[in-house]
Amino acid sequence: MSRPGFVLEVDDRTPPLVVHEGQGFRLEDFPLGTRVVYPPESMLTVPDVEEAIRDALLNPVDSEPLPSLLRPGMRLTIAFDDLSLPLPTMKAPDIRQRIIEQVLTLAAEAGVDDVELIAANALHRRMTPAELKHIVGERVFRSFHPQGLLYNFDAEDRDNLAHLGTTDQGEDVEISKRAAESDLLVYVNVNLVAMDGGHKSVGIGLASYKSLRHHHNPHTMVRSHSFMDHKKSHLHHSAWRMGRLIKDHVKVFQIETTLDNRVFPSPYEFLMKREWEWSVRDQASMLAVRRGLSVAPRRVRHKMFHDMRAPYGLTGVNAGEVEAVHERTIAAVHRQQLVEVQGQSDVLVMGVPYLGPYNVNSTMNPILATCMGLGYYFNSYRGQPVVRRGGAVILYHPLNEGFDQLRHPSYVDFYEEVLAETTDPAVIGEKYEQQFATDPWYIHLYRTSHAYHGVHPFYMWYWAAHAMDHVDDVIWVGGDRKVASRLGFRAASTLADALEMASDTVGASPSITYLHNPPHLIADVKV
Amino acid sequence: MNVVREGVEDVRRVARGWRWGRRSLVPRSAEPWVEPVEQTVFGTDWARRRAGRVAREVAQKGGLEPVFRSQVRTRVEGVDVLSRIDGPVIFVANHASHLDTPLILLSLPDEWRRRTAVAAAADYFFDTWWRAVGSALLFNTFPIDRRGGAMSATPGEVLADGWSLVVFPEGTRSQDGWTGRFRLGAAYLACEHGIPVVPIAHRGTFAAMPRGQNWPSPGRRQLTIRFGEPLRPEPDESPRSFAPKIRDAVASLLDEESSTWWEARRRAAAGAIPDPSGPDVATWRRVWAQSASPQANGSRRAAWRR
Repeated sequence: MSRPGFVLEVDDRTPPLVVHEGQGFRLEDFPLGTRVVYPPESMLTVPDVEEAIRDALLNPVDSEPLPSLLRPGMRLTIAFDDLSLPLPTMKAPDIRQRIIEQVLTLAAEAGVDDVELIAANALHRRMTPAELKHIVGERVFRSFHPQGLLYNFDAEDRDNLAHLGTTDQGEDVEISKRAAESDLLVYVNVNLVAMDGGHKSVGIGLASYKSLRHHHNPHTMVRSHSFMDHKKSHLHHSAWRMGRLIKDHVKVFQIETTLDNRVFPSPYEFLMKREWEWSVRDQASMLAVRRGLSVAPRRVRHKMFHDMRAPYGLTGVNAGEVEAVHERTIAAVHRQQLVEVQGQSDVLVMGVPYLGPYNVNSTMNPILATCMGLGYYFNSYRGQPVVRRGGAVILYHPLNEGFDQLRHPSYVDFYEEVLAETTDPAVIGEKYEQQFATDPWYIHLYRTSHAYHGVHPFYMWYWAAHAMDHVDDVIWVGGDRKVASRLGFRAASTLADALEMASDTVGASPSITYLHNPPHLIADVKV
Repeated sequence: MNVVREGVEDVRRVARGWRWGRRSLVPRSAEPWVEPVEQTVFGTDWARRRAGRVAREVAQKGGLEPVFRSQVRTRVEGVDVLSRIDGPVIFVANHASHLDTPLILLSLPDEWRRRTAVAAAADYFFDTWWRAVGSALLFNTFPIDRRGGAMSATPGEVLADGWSLVVFPEGTRSQDGWTGRFRLGAAYLACEHGIPVVPIAHRGTFAAMPRGQNWPSPGRRQLTIRFGEPLRPEPDESPRSFAPKIRDAVASLLDEESSTWWEARRRAAAGAIPDPSGPDVATWRRVWAQSASPQANGSRRAAWRR
């Protein structure tokens, strides 16, 4: 039986605690009384994955069984989440591969010839063939990729987009033409965190900029409280409106999966354990890893982290009607990640790890680090933010990984030109978004290379808008001072220095909460 | 050089944070979430065979005793009661420190020491193989489960083999040096096997090395130990009625320590033995009283002295 998450109160018995900071981690001595939110331990996984998938396909929620939806002569499209999920990349075989193989087996038995597989990467970068192959597996890749029937979605391919109409709030719904004109769209998702899945899968994953701009903007995102609570997120409300419109045009058979919390493989398992329970072996592993990282060249360090494959286990798979499936999925995600936290604190501390959704096999540039800390981790709450309005956020990351010119070309210009002018998300959106979103060079790189869309860095900044609006001070421990300053924040060498700097905002004896994340958690804040 | 220095600093932090050489601690707020550990059964029969006995003799006389005597001073009284009885017996003592066991063993005459085993908490002394081997070899411990459960050897089997036992009926070391509630285990063994109980009272171990300390305080603190007259359960006496007699005997010996044998006898006869659990006063006063070591030569004249 796995133990639930809990809130530790640091006392004189507490050993130093792990805080992630980019391609490394530090051991931090938190002030006595600091609250540390630990995620639940990994839940029990399904005993037989193949059987669980089969059962979900044959006994879907609020839908006919998949075999009865398949017939000869139909157009079947299978869309799936891209490499931004799960994090880190799942150890092979990926759960999407196992599901797609079963869906294709049923399609073959039903005599379906017209099948296409689309990676739902929206404005994310195109995946390489190797990355696609890792997700769908060798059999699927060999059967579809050479014929061009397994491909990345291209949100700038005007000829292959379909405008399905507008929602009652005037939001354009424009998605992949192939998906929209299919007799059946099967979506295979990995619901790593509570913000994933539901109508966000098709409505965002297969949508163009014309659609995305309605919810990926500062106005909507600053009012999404939080992204991890789709019922209170304006972004999700918009996606839900779009999803319901899509449902009127195409039959969607949604397959959602939930995973446990096993994010670190051997020899990094100690990072998932509660520090005071570290065995001698865990302590030795930690010391060895820390020493190894300290002498390793940057390239080796990058490889050590990015070659990690998470030994995730499947905790559930549900298929059928989008909203009904998603309710079940969210319940499973909450069981795995929800931790009750009593009250808000003055200071919220978070360690930004080496990996986020947008730097798989790439670098965590300062904008992505901001998005990870102030976007994803800050928003890992339900109810109220963990930190009070007007409080301070302390983040750990060196902010020194630079930019990946291949994958993040528009980020460089966003950092050099836009952030040099202003860091206000609303002003940035108003003044610069269109220019970046329609820049032909960025569009060219997005379509033909492996670059994120020109507008993507704006979205990253908007993700952080709610946090920037909510707190008065953001300090990066161990961060490059010049970079932090460009981002509109401050840097400190140590936690003590950061608290000293934050004392102007929160006083000399603030209440502090540290989110011990990863593995993933959602703080269920009761006020 | 930086790499080496940082490495050394890392090791030091881990050694300090994870209390190398000492038992690790769980933060108080995390205690409700500690998983019950699956108890491994470590056999200790080997420690009571010939090779184990020889190794223990060398370890106790060549290592334990010189170190022990270099760190503390002892005053042993009443040990001549052992010359009037034959083993096996059950030595029952108050429990305030890890020094209690070596104090008792090293106060026994050699022929008794060599035939005495110590009942030790399985969850504490037998949670790792090296701790189990170390304590079994040095102190002739065998595990007893404080929560109940299967063990490698039962106290009854050890008694049946002719070994005397040291039992601390409080089950754990005192938090403040005063004597706690006595459990029924020792009384049960005595009644079940018809074996006499030799009460023991000692003082000074709490002052010298309380909970949380893994080495005696400097200054060769004084310890005292006093053996009492053997108690024999009446035929058909229940452990429940015998246990209070054991506690009274220990309490009377503690009284004797702070007064005289005669005064303690008279108080015992009048049913006015001072409560060994101490006065109902503020915690700090209870700890304060026990953190003073006994006088080097005793303020009163002892009845017996070795």
